[in-house]
Amino acid sequence: MSPRLQTQHLSRWYGNILGLSDVSLEVGPGITGLLGPNGAGKTTLLKLITGQIKPSLGRVTIDGQPVRGRAEHFFRIGYCPETDAFFEGLTGWQFLNWMLRLLHFSDSEAAAAAEKMLHLVELYDDRHRPIRSYSRGMRQRLKLAQALAHNPEILILDEPLNGLDPLGKRKIIRLIREYGREGRLIIVSSHVLPEIEALTRQIILIHQGKIFAQGDIHEIRDLIERHPHVVSVRTPDSRRLAAELIQQPYVVKAYFGDDDQNLLVETRNRDLFFQFLLEAAAVKGLRVEEITSPDDNLQAVFDYLVGRP
Amino acid sequence: MIREHGYTHWDGHLISRPWPWWPITRLNLKLAFKKKHFRPIYVLSFLPAFFFIVAIYISERMEDFRFMVRGSRPQFLEVNPNFFKNYLASDFLLFMLILIMVSAGAGLIADDLRHNSLVLYFSRPLRKKDYLLGKISVLAFFVLSLTLVPAFIFIIIKLLFAGSFDLLRSYPWLPLAIIAYSLFLTAFFCLYTTFFSSLSRNSRYVSVIVFAIYIFSDFLYGFLYGWFHRPYLSLLSLKVNLQQVAAFAFHQKPVQPIPWFWSFLIIVSFCSVATIVIRQKIKAFEVIR
Repeated sequence: MSPRLQTQHLSRWYGNILGLSDVSLEVGPGITGLLGPNGAGKTTLLKLITGQIKPSLGRVTIDGQPVRGRAEHFFRIGYCPETDAFFEGLTGWQFLNWMLRLLHFSDSEAAAAAEKMLHLVELYDDRHRPIRSYSRGMRQRLKLAQALAHNPEILILDEPLNGLDPLGKRKIIRLIREYGREGRLIIVSSHVLPEIEALTRQIILIHQGKIFAQGDIHEIRDLIERHPHVVSVRTPDSRRLAAELIQQPYVVKAYFGDDDQNLLVETRNRDLFFQFLLEAAAVKGLRVEEITSPDDNLQAVFDYLVGRP
Repeated sequence: MIREHGYTHWDGHLISRPWPWWPITRLNLKLAFKKKHFRPIYVLSFLPAFFFIVAIYISERMEDFRFMVRGSRPQFLEVNPNFFKNYLASDFLLFMLILIMVSAGAGLIADDLRHNSLVLYFSRPLRKKDYLLGKISVLAFFVLSLTLVPAFIFIIIKLLFAGSFDLLRSYPWLPLAIIAYSLFLTAFFCLYTTFFSSLSRNSRYVSVIVFAIYIFSDFLYGFLYGWFHRPYLSLLSLKVNLQQVAAFAFHQKPVQPIPWFWSFLIIVSFCSVATIVIRQKIKAFEVIR
């Protein structure tokens, strides 16, 4: 079973500047978050994936077929660019229609698809207003609409949630997740961690043109052995538990959090730690109210990987 | 919720459609005709064609118009290769073509650069050559509609009025010359305009440059010729170069006593450089800022 999208040793230089270095990826259906700070190489990678720019080295294939030089792939790909790229004088409806005409939709097909999509991104009432009068959020939704309008199997979304208000973000997140559930291959880039976290657990971490990690956020976290996992345990027996835990060789540190009942434990082996906790609860009658892993979020993983303290 | 990522094997074929550039041409033609100042310019450009058709009519009905013409038949009423050369290389037609290029062509690429919209084009099933073809076809439509189409209409009208094929029998190469020179003009005007359009993000600036360079080249030639009286100075004028090539294409005496080949070489060299620059400018969108 091979994945649908593959990159092999993909590199791109802009003169002396390295945009992307030796990126080999395999991406399957579902939502994959591409995460990295500004200038990390996210847009370069997405443009290479869509064949819009030529790699200096390496290649990209979709279902085994090379992307570069095969513009026909765009019948199957929807691409939402990071930057605004509108013909400001056109109305939202005209713009979307025109984008669909470029995909060889007939007049009636384009009109129907544009109307449906404008409803979906809630721009239907503003469809006859020129784009120059659109707010940032409306522009973002229109950009997304042009990527989705031809019902593509593969969606490449470069910072699609930029400029949206919280409510708008939630709606777009829901929309993207629905598309992901339909089995489409979706890559969403962002430098905002909670955005990616809300969309998917499947992530690719990119920094300075290099891929730091790829996979499930938990799997990635487990791979970072030199960084202990932090687990928060809420229990009325926190001091007793701390005394027991500190004797275990895989526990590095145990300290109290906001209050006396919140015990934070740093461990090098999460599996053994949880096994111990289970036994403590079952055998020693320890009452555990809540277990959370505060550093299981993307920010923690990202900070570890890029070497932030 | 635990969801398995199923793998879907794609068995389809990538669809390749003919004429992927056509939607670009269609939209830009529509946009051009929507411009208020463009429509009168375009209509006015057909004025010479109208006069030439009248001239063909008069030439075939000389007896009816004897009261207007004294002595022998004037040269402009002779429908021969010179007649076609006079139409296709007339100062007025070339000037009107430049005005059309200014109003319909200046923003073709410049506006896309201004709106960063190349990324949208190239996230559609379009290659760079499709994009350029789509843009150039807009200008080609206007140039050919004012050169090739009227010239062939002249031939048809002449044949109809004369009721014989004498014109084509006497000059069998004439249709070929019309096609060749019309295509030459089309290539020049399209590349001339798109070249400047690709150099700037400001279409007004491009308009000024497209117009000014054409006019200034002719002005410079006139000015320097007034001082030095050297016919080779005519190579500085874009208009004279186009007319020199026309004279050769229609087997007529050149405007200036210099070989037509130099003029042809200058125009072809310009077109070649323009092609390279346009390709580079379009390719520059690959640089991510």
